[in-house]
Amino acid sequence: MIFKIAWRNIWRSKIRSLVVLTSIALGIWAGLLIIGFSFGMNNERTSSAIGSTLGHSQVHSLSFLEEPTSAAVIGSAAEVQAIEELLQEAVFVKGVSTRAIMMGMVSAPKSARGARMIAVDPDSERANSTLPETIVEGDFFESKTRNSVIIGQKLADKLGLGLRKKVVLTFQDAEGNISRASFRITGIYKTLNATWDELNLYIKRSDLAHIIGQDLVHEIMVRYDETEGTEEKTAKLSAALPEGAAILSWKRNSPELGYADDMMGIMLVLVLGIIMMALLFGIINNMLMAILERRRELGMLMAVGMNKRKLFIMILVETLMLGFVAGPVGILLGDLSTRVMMGIGIDLTSKKEGLANLGVQSIIYPEIVPEYYLIVAVMVIMTALLAALYPAYKALKLNPVQAIRGE
Amino acid sequence: MSKTVIEVKDLFKVYEGPVPVKAVNGISLTIKEGEFTALKGPSGCGKTTLLNMLGGLDYPTSGSILVGGNDITSLGENELIDFRLRNIGFVFQAYNLIPVLSATENVSFIMLLQNRPKEEREDRARQLLQSVGLTGKEDKRPGELSGGQQQRVAVARALASKPQFVLADEPTANLDSESTANLLDIMLKLNKEEGMTFVFATHDDRVINRARRVVAISDGKVVSDLSK
Repeated sequence: MIFKIAWRNIWRSKIRSLVVLTSIALGIWAGLLIIGFSFGMNNERTSSAIGSTLGHSQVHSLSFLEEPTSAAVIGSAAEVQAIEELLQEAVFVKGVSTRAIMMGMVSAPKSARGARMIAVDPDSERANSTLPETIVEGDFFESKTRNSVIIGQKLADKLGLGLRKKVVLTFQDAEGNISRASFRITGIYKTLNATWDELNLYIKRSDLAHIIGQDLVHEIMVRYDETEGTEEKTAKLSAALPEGAAILSWKRNSPELGYADDMMGIMLVLVLGIIMMALLFGIINNMLMAILERRRELGMLMAVGMNKRKLFIMILVETLMLGFVAGPVGILLGDLSTRVMMGIGIDLTSKKEGLANLGVQSIIYPEIVPEYYLIVAVMVIMTALLAALYPAYKALKLNPVQAIRGE
Repeated sequence: MSKTVIEVKDLFKVYEGPVPVKAVNGISLTIKEGEFTALKGPSGCGKTTLLNMLGGLDYPTSGSILVGGNDITSLGENELIDFRLRNIGFVFQAYNLIPVLSATENVSFIMLLQNRPKEEREDRARQLLQSVGLTGKEDKRPGELSGGQQQRVAVARALASKPQFVLADEPTANLDSESTANLLDIMLKLNKEEGMTFVFATHDDRVINRARRVVAISDGKVVSDLSK
């Protein structure tokens, strides 16, 4: 009967209850939308970076991790091949791609800039990365032209370059000799990350070998069957690697992405916490009003022998009921609107530039994150429990004789 | 000889303040089982204070109140709540029913607090509502009943816990003559047929005239005690 009383009491002051129920539902709705939006944004950025550049993990020599010089190669061609074969033995490894990485300079007729040159095997990249899909002009090493280079759109803009223009690349070989060669731009790429595009350019490993007379491999990019469990899979592979080589997951290779991924969970719980805090005061206010209005009735209940524990439970149940009614409505609203947004996306084109610097697309597609529904539900219940404490305390402090008289 | 239900000895209640007020000033009183007693007196004479103390809603400054031989003034707050639930029925001036519950639910709620089984609660509630003449109104909520009918629900509620006695504070103050007569008829019937002890605090002559014992109180003291 306590549940019945609590339920009916909620509807005694319909407008007031509806206001508080609506605010709880809207708070949850907004929280879930923010969660969906944040996950959508983060996962898109992460999967784009994993797909186009990072892979799920990368093998480097330990010296490369200390200082990424041209000399810090993984090993001889035979050693590299042995590692490749070893990696591919794992069932979850879907592909590997070898790369040479050198810091150097790109010179155009008008200006020059520092750049990171990534020498790739085009066929292997086509099979294992989404890099070819990021080409916006030209192609991804389709022609057999020697010394072709693919540069990022941002770098092209900065240097005032376009397709088929010539640039001079300067870099150090493994012995420390400076080499210089002329390249022709055959493709311009654009990833979601403008900062990456500004720094990195791609050449063919065969061209690099021809220029410096050595086939260097600084990095083996490893692609897994799925992103889930990356850390465990990487740890498994790590154990099998020979001494002097190390494999790091994308989170550790790109700490800023990993950090964003780890921080997001904490940030979202904080955001939810702030929403719940606002709701907390709304619920407390609502319940205090309810108790003030019903003090005669509460006084009577105490007089006729309702003990403090039962009175406390009655107020607790009533407060919790607000959460139990509004919580599912808010979760349902949040779920539905996230699903709608998943189809149409949230267009932030006006903030395109800033978002591109963060490695995020200008249309964001939120995601459904079911585990957060549970977190939200638990937080709503906790909020209602907390909100019940003060009004319940006020009710328990009533003096039955005075309360019955309405004093 | 009837059993003593309430025995009050040298009861004082002093409200401290710049000028201490002796609301109850040395009252001794015995209420026997089956009595129908009115405590009468003008406003502020101390009758409600006395009634509150008899009901365990307030502690005296000194003196003792024995109910069934036990001194309730020595009980702690929680024990007193339990004592009230098991021993006393209350009828208030403003009815004080729970507006969101039907007449039956209001009556059976007290029995729920006593952890009685559902079937017993429902049977007794129906039976009590019938005895206060509210057959057919069982499912009505207080807002759908007249003042007299609400007070009759309150009487049924007071009896629901099978108390030792019923305390009624100005139960007829908000009722018209017809409703008052009706309510008193019902209470007298319950008093006669079931031997229920009633104690009223009232200054309503309609109640005083029908009470079988009238205790007049003035300035916190018993000034007369007449049995008819």
